[in-house]
Amino acid sequence: MKISHKWLKQLIDVRLKPAELAEQLSMVGLEIEGYESLGSKYEKFVVGQVLEVAKHPNADKLTLCKVNVGKEVLEIVCGAPNVASGQKVAVALVGATIPHNQHDPEGKPFVIQKATIRGIESNGMICSVYELDMGTDKNGILVLDPKAKVGSSLSSYLGLNDVIYEIEITANRGDWLSHLGVAREAAALTGKKVKLPALRLKESSVPTSSVASVKIFDSKKCRRYSARVLRGIKVGPSPKWLRDILTAVGLRPINNIVDVTNYVMLELGQPLHAFDYDRLVDGRIEVKTAAEGQTFTTLDGKTHTLSSDVLMICDAERPVAIGGVMGGANSEISNSTTNVLLESANFDSTNIRRTVKSLGISTDASQRFERSVDIEMTVYAVNRAAQLLQEITGAEVLRGVIDVYLRKFKSRLITLRVSKTNDILGTNLGSAQIASQLKRLGLAIKRQSKGSILVGVPSFRNDLVEEIDLIEEVARMFGYNNIETKTTSVVEYSTTPVEENIHDLLRAYFVGAGFNEIVANTLQDAETARLAGEPLVEVLNPVSAEMAVMRSSMIPGVLQIVRRNIFQGNQDLRLFELGRVYSMREGGSTEKWEDFIEDDRLLILLSGRLNPPQYGLDSRRVDIFDLKGEVESMLAKFHLDKHRLISYDSDKALTVDNVAVEIQGTYAGFFGKVKKEILQRFEIDSDVYVAELRVGILAAHRVTARRFEPLPRFPIVDRDVAFVVDEGVPQEKVYRAIQEAGGAWLVETRLFDVYTGQQIVSGKKSLAYSLKFQSIERTLTDGEINEQIARIVENVRTKCGGELRR
Amino acid sequence: MLEKIEHVKVDFLQELNAANDLKALEEVRIKFLSRKGLIAELFEELKSVPPSDKPAIGRALNELRGFAQSRFDARKSELERPAGVADSKIDLTLPGRSRPLGTQHPITRTIDEIIRIFARMGFSVADGPEIETDYYNFEALNFPPDHPARDMQDTFFISKNVLLRTHTSPVQIRVMEKQKPPVRVLIPGRVYRNEAVSARSHVHFHQMEGLYVDTKVTMSDLKGTLVSFVKQFYGSATKYKFRPTFFPFTEPSADMYISCFICNQKGCRMCKYVGWLEILGSGMVHPHLYEAVGYDPEKYSGFAFGMGIERIAILRYGIDDIRLFYDNDLRFLRQF
Repeated sequence: MKISHKWLKQLIDVRLKPAELAEQLSMVGLEIEGYESLGSKYEKFVVGQVLEVAKHPNADKLTLCKVNVGKEVLEIVCGAPNVASGQKVAVALVGATIPHNQHDPEGKPFVIQKATIRGIESNGMICSVYELDMGTDKNGILVLDPKAKVGSSLSSYLGLNDVIYEIEITANRGDWLSHLGVAREAAALTGKKVKLPALRLKESSVPTSSVASVKIFDSKKCRRYSARVLRGIKVGPSPKWLRDILTAVGLRPINNIVDVTNYVMLELGQPLHAFDYDRLVDGRIEVKTAAEGQTFTTLDGKTHTLSSDVLMICDAERPVAIGGVMGGANSEISNSTTNVLLESANFDSTNIRRTVKSLGISTDASQRFERSVDIEMTVYAVNRAAQLLQEITGAEVLRGVIDVYLRKFKSRLITLRVSKTNDILGTNLGSAQIASQLKRLGLAIKRQSKGSILVGVPSFRNDLVEEIDLIEEVARMFGYNNIETKTTSVVEYSTTPVEENIHDLLRAYFVGAGFNEIVANTLQDAETARLAGEPLVEVLNPVSAEMAVMRSSMIPGVLQIVRRNIFQGNQDLRLFELGRVYSMREGGSTEKWEDFIEDDRLLILLSGRLNPPQYGLDSRRVDIFDLKGEVESMLAKFHLDKHRLISYDSDKALTVDNVAVEIQGTYAGFFGKVKKEILQRFEIDSDVYVAELRVGILAAHRVTARRFEPLPRFPIVDRDVAFVVDEGVPQEKVYRAIQEAGGAWLVETRLFDVYTGQQIVSGKKSLAYSLKFQSIERTLTDGEINEQIARIVENVRTKCGGELRR
Repeated sequence: MLEKIEHVKVDFLQELNAANDLKALEEVRIKFLSRKGLIAELFEELKSVPPSDKPAIGRALNELRGFAQSRFDARKSELERPAGVADSKIDLTLPGRSRPLGTQHPITRTIDEIIRIFARMGFSVADGPEIETDYYNFEALNFPPDHPARDMQDTFFISKNVLLRTHTSPVQIRVMEKQKPPVRVLIPGRVYRNEAVSARSHVHFHQMEGLYVDTKVTMSDLKGTLVSFVKQFYGSATKYKFRPTFFPFTEPSADMYISCFICNQKGCRMCKYVGWLEILGSGMVHPHLYEAVGYDPEKYSGFAFGMGIERIAILRYGIDDIRLFYDNDLRFLRQF
């Protein structure tokens, strides 16, 4: 909201400079986002009077003018055909910035300097409308009102000698949505008193009650309705001062009646509505809820279907306004309006908010009522509006205000304990000090003792409900920056074991292992998310189709990231993410929170080359075994010993060559190669390998407590063996057969070569293993090891049909 | 026996050094290291050594074998080097063999740095769901139904009462429901706002929430804790100020500003030319929250604070577009 400094000064005698006022208000919580001097662009522009006009001796089209600018008389060369002596004109002094250069095709600004024009010195410029940025007229200079004061600043002549503050209102302080509210805060700061404009109203002898009546049927939704009737109004444009001030605070002037109601709202915070009295049947106002399903056309031309919660203002026959929100087209002010009924009412904030939400309209009035409006203000506001309309239009104001006031305002009483105040704030304030701070805010001190203060809350502070609200007021007035900054504290020692966070460990591990951590979007377009399968968690009110559902797997989203990077020329990717995926229980209901599942996942991704081509490095492309190795290394690092990697053919939505990771019999995720057709959707040409693992399972089975194993004292014996088996036999089967038959002495079995080719029969492959034997009791003999090898060879033969390769 | 081992060792070294080509070296290998070589012979002899001596002699033999093998390997690679290339003639300007460099994402990195500071002040870390109920996200946090405060945070709804959390504050309630004071907890996490995606805003971002509840916790403690944090995080010369503001779940509520470290308060785009940066919201926990979780508001008091992680990273690293965090372009990631 915009606040005018000039306007504020009509309500309180603030002597602070705008910068100081802005800073001080900000420091009590009324945030000033910025302020702007309206006339700043007319700095060094003054009102001057042309005393003499003579021909320029060296140029036909130029004149030489003597211009009185107050402090001195300047000689100015002028090219305008309409300049004449006696005129009051806008003079740009040396140093002024002319908004538009008339001689520049783009009209760029320029700075006035002392200049010699055709041999004559010119000390300023008499400006045209275009040069002043007030319009497009370039033909001749702007001639001002003959009453303009010579030497005064142009901005004050134009009514621009004002500073406009842009303020940000917090949701609890509806009272700040007016100049009066801001003035009250300034009063609390400065100790000055707020003074409301005096009312000078000339009422006619005709009583208002003889032409109009008001009845409230729903006292919960509307507690007070005040009204006045004015007759003989001529609708027309508002006077300049009113148009100027409304424009300055960002409102478009419409006509004198609407402008006055807006002016009073911005001044006092009380929204008003003006009805064309002659269009109200019987001059009757009835405040009641709408009939369910009833339609109503508001003055912006939109038709709304109403529910029975919506409070309507009706005349004798029909609704004429949505109470506190917007008037109806059927009773709005038009150019032919002569008689007006002014409404100044108070509506229930909760109901207004519901209405606004259900109808999807928000107005200056509803924004104020939502935050609650001072119920004691209705009569003063309607009188203020009537007075202004009378002053402007000479209208007849009928005698008396109709004021239906149900459940009169009673000041809320709150007990504030001195000890509690100090306990919350860490201060050492006394009762008297607290009371004086609250008084400055306009709160009533009903009773005061050493230990507590009974505070009466005024009608304009509906946000103050309980003790803590008053403690905040004390803190604001005392100044947050005056509260001690206590830098010591007592920490209670923990008695629970420190748990290492698996996320942190995994993150450190993968960063160390040369992976780039990513943080991906969790909201995706439905098509991408659906690639991983359903059910998906969908957002009811997405901001766009691209971010409408939550990811149920990390894979589709990361493919977008892969694609982006490949397009940017980074094709060798080692990525990981620790993040969440979201899904629903089978057959679950979106209404039940318990039916949603969030799962922490670890994504590992490899694509492109193992290394970029470089001297002495292997730059082959990565394959599934590189990823398998990464998964195995991670499992080994976190001592997830009892795991099994189960290769299976089951069709995953996104990947082939899938391997399931099982830890102590629990499924912990899988890895595989992204399907070609999926990659094509993302325009990715190179192979992508991904693992998606469940962090919860990794954490649950991680072995943290380990026992030391004594180092073996007897020598290790190495033996290499190679088996020729059918190509279709999985390596793991051979490996298992070796392990089974190897006995306790076999401490390591490592595959070091896989061979197919000329050396062996086609359809067969050779698997070469390095075996290590060791006993913890003694040195093994050759004979013992040979026996063991024989058992292994036999077992591989029976289980896998493998022959020892000689 | 030990003497014998020593002899073999001396002989081996002599012959190894005398071997001047690969052929001579192979002869040394056969003599000492082959399956029928001198060292293997010694292992054979070990069998006939009295059991009491076996451990010591076995150990010496193993050492000999390891020693001989490694010296042999070294000598072999020396002899294999192309003729004429001495050690000093290696072209040391050839590039070192690089390994891929891992990087941590600036968001998680910023979170880690903040946690490290608060952990030293006795804060632990808690976590909570991103899919939340209206109760935890709003009602228990003192956002009454039909209150304009709800407009402060544009919300994504999943159904009438289920939504994507708009802040990490619901975890405050979840923690207090489970734990009795003292509570000192940090809550990092992802939050969602129904806002158009632009350089300055996104549908999700990360927050770090802090909560401290105990007996006799005051606004002085709030200030002290946060001042300590900003000095540790932003530098000890950092100036600060607190300004009243409004959050439904704290009262009094305070925004904390620090002196702009980008322009040193001379005025820049980041601080909107005022020299101050708003970096976090805070306040004393509203008594209604204690009522919601069954704490006695007369007995306990505390403070909470929250900050946006992306905003901190944006300020710190001078990042000009919030979308870069989620694009995960390697050219971006490699800078951290």
